Amino acid sequence: MVAGFGTLVVSIALALAGDELVRPGLQALLFNWITVPYLISGTIAWWRRPASRLGPLMIATGFVMALTALQWSTVPVLLSVGHLLDLVPAAMFLHVFLAYPTGRVAGRLRQVVVVAGYATAVVLQLTKILLGINPDSLFTVTTKPVLAGRIEQAELITMSALLLVGAALLLVRRPSAIRVRRRPVALLVDSFGLALIVLAILFVAGLRGWSQIETVRHVTFAVLGLAPVVFLLGLLDARLARTDVGALLMDLRADPAGDLREPLARALHDPSLTLAFWLPKYGSWADSEGHAVTLPGGSDGRATRVIYRDHEPVVALEFDRSLEDEHELLDAVAAAAGIALENSRLQAELRARLHELQGSRARVIDAEQQERKRLERNLHDGAQQRLVALALEIGLLAGQSAGDADTKARLMQAKQQVSASLDELRDVARGIHPAVLTGHGLAVALESLAAQAAVPVTLEVVADGRLPEHVEVAAYYVVSESLTNIAKHAHASTASVRVTRSAGRLVVEVVDDGVGGADTERGSGLRGLADRVEAIGGRLRIWSPADGGTRLEAEIPCG
Amino acid sequence: MRVAIAEDSVLLREGLTRILGDAGLDVVAAYDNADDLLRYVRGFPPEVAILDIRLPPTHNDEGMRAALQIRERHPGVGVLVLSQYLELGLAMQLLSESADGVGYLLKDRISDVEDFTGAVRRVAAGGSAIDPKIVSTLLQRRRSDDPLAALTPRERQVLELMATGASNQGIADDLVVTLRAAEKYVSGIFTKLGIPSTRSESRRVLAVLLYLRA
Repeated sequence: MVAGFGTLVVSIALALAGDELVRPGLQALLFNWITVPYLISGTIAWWRRPASRLGPLMIATGFVMALTALQWSTVPVLLSVGHLLDLVPAAMFLHVFLAYPTGRVAGRLRQVVVVAGYATAVVLQLTKILLGINPDSLFTVTTKPVLAGRIEQAELITMSALLLVGAALLLVRRPSAIRVRRRPVALLVDSFGLALIVLAILFVAGLRGWSQIETVRHVTFAVLGLAPVVFLLGLLDARLARTDVGALLMDLRADPAGDLREPLARALHDPSLTLAFWLPKYGSWADSEGHAVTLPGGSDGRATRVIYRDHEPVVALEFDRSLEDEHELLDAVAAAAGIALENSRLQAELRARLHELQGSRARVIDAEQQERKRLERNLHDGAQQRLVALALEIGLLAGQSAGDADTKARLMQAKQQVSASLDELRDVARGIHPAVLTGHGLAVALESLAAQAAVPVTLEVVADGRLPEHVEVAAYYVVSESLTNIAKHAHASTASVRVTRSAGRLVVEVVDDGVGGADTERGSGLRGLADRVEAIGGRLRIWSPADGGTRLEAEIPCG
Repeated sequence: MRVAIAEDSVLLREGLTRILGDAGLDVVAAYDNADDLLRYVRGFPPEVAILDIRLPPTHNDEGMRAALQIRERHPGVGVLVLSQYLELGLAMQLLSESADGVGYLLKDRISDVEDFTGAVRRVAAGGSAIDPKIVSTLLQRRRSDDPLAALTPRERQVLELMATGASNQGIADDLVVTLRAAEKYVSGIFTKLGIPSTRSESRRVLAVLLYLRA
């Protein structure tokens, strides 16, 4: 830190002194416009993010930039050093921009570009000075102006090319400012890219000897100085973001069990944020509702950060890739949300277990239903048909035995027995599964139920068309069980059944004017009915005051 | 009299063909599915079509749909639906327009050969044949203010027979009374229940069933 400040002071003094001595006016102003912001931004960055190399790198850039002013000195040693360093700032700009925001140059291509930049700025610069491109330099060994000129051309062309490649690399990874409200970052990358491009243009202009070179130089310096200013804005934005982390803490404290995504998305300035919770029992990720999800894994402009607790993943934040640049913000948000995230993970796990439980209940009921259907079908196609054929055969025999009254009477009796068996079998089969429901739907099936009830029943079915089978079956059993209960316990004089469909739910209401006092907890019939309805995501409610009347209402989701 | 059949059980299809043939009816077609029957009826409308309510491929409502289709498109063809189960709702669907030339019987009824062939002839001739079980279900139905209580036991019997589609002569034969007596019972019932009386025997079936169902 002290070293940083020391460097800052020395550099500013040097830059100011150099300018005052040699290049007054606009040029000096622009020169300071570059060096001073870099030194200030670098120092602030170093202070704010000590772990990042970016701060020192920016300070070094400003310092070297200041040192290049020495080339206008009249003292031979200083002048020689100034000349030697002339192109190093260009390589350093490239380095700083490509190293943003971590201070490390990530990616093979970026590393190659940065190293090549330094190599060009040092090796080719030294070579051309050794060959005497600048007669005043102390490093001049020999004087070969033509060769030195060639090398200078190669040096400037190479450096321009590297700068343009650097600009391209930056702009390729530019975050989408439209999708996410991350304008400062996008703006920063834009200014970096622009700075590299104008720097490349400046070198080409120098090479071609353009007449407007001074104007180009001014523009270049102005743009180069803009970058650290935008960088400062970015830091300020991050600071503002951290105040959002404070708000996040307040939010979490106010409503620790509430939805986490909203406050996190606000704090991270990323409305597209999604959360996934790690469920160790299931070995998979799940959303807050407990439904299994897969992590996207860095595709499609998205990035993921997994938060661990005791080396176990707890939650994954999935966000816009541009957020990756703000490690600190992510760290702060993750730390702030730690406990609440653990809570949410437990909630997600609970919901997953509920889904699993409900799924298995529904599957058990469905399997039972299919088995019942199969049994009824077997009875219908097997025993029932055979008995009907048998009755027919006996009937024909009875018809042929017209002469023998005794035989005929016994055959008729046998036929009666078969008919009675058929009646009993019909009741059994209907109890196993009401085939009319599968064949003709709820309205037709309920009509028979209502007609056979022990009390007068008014039936109203306002549900057009067929419903999913499990819904029809559940609704049928609700009515059938209710009417049985009314017959057994209610001492009612009338009852009504009403089936309506609205907003994706089938509502079955059974009302009687009996004695009341019905209860889902007593009597296994109503409890079993409630279980059945709840297993398919529905709800059964009963109002049965002791002073009379019972109203049962089942709500069944029907898509 | 030409009869066409759709019944997927081989035993019953052959049994039906036999008893109807023995009774002097002409079974011109016997299929195991509804589509073939519908195609036949389109080409050569018979006097009566007999259908099992559960037919392939799904055994859900193929037979019922075919029956309703024949009633709609071929009003001259009597339709007799056979089923293992009786459903009041389906009976009312079959009778929704009129009770002319329609029957709905339990499969067991074919074993009472004479009654059954009689029902087939009645339906073919434009009358109706409603299973007595349907009628007794309706009669047993509880009512808050029961006007049926005003009927004598004899009148109840007559009402039941009337609802199954029996003619006045049929009622007289069944109860072993004179035709005149049967007619007197019928008009007495209409008066007591307040049902507008009608001469058409099939129309009075519908009137009585609708009255009982209400």
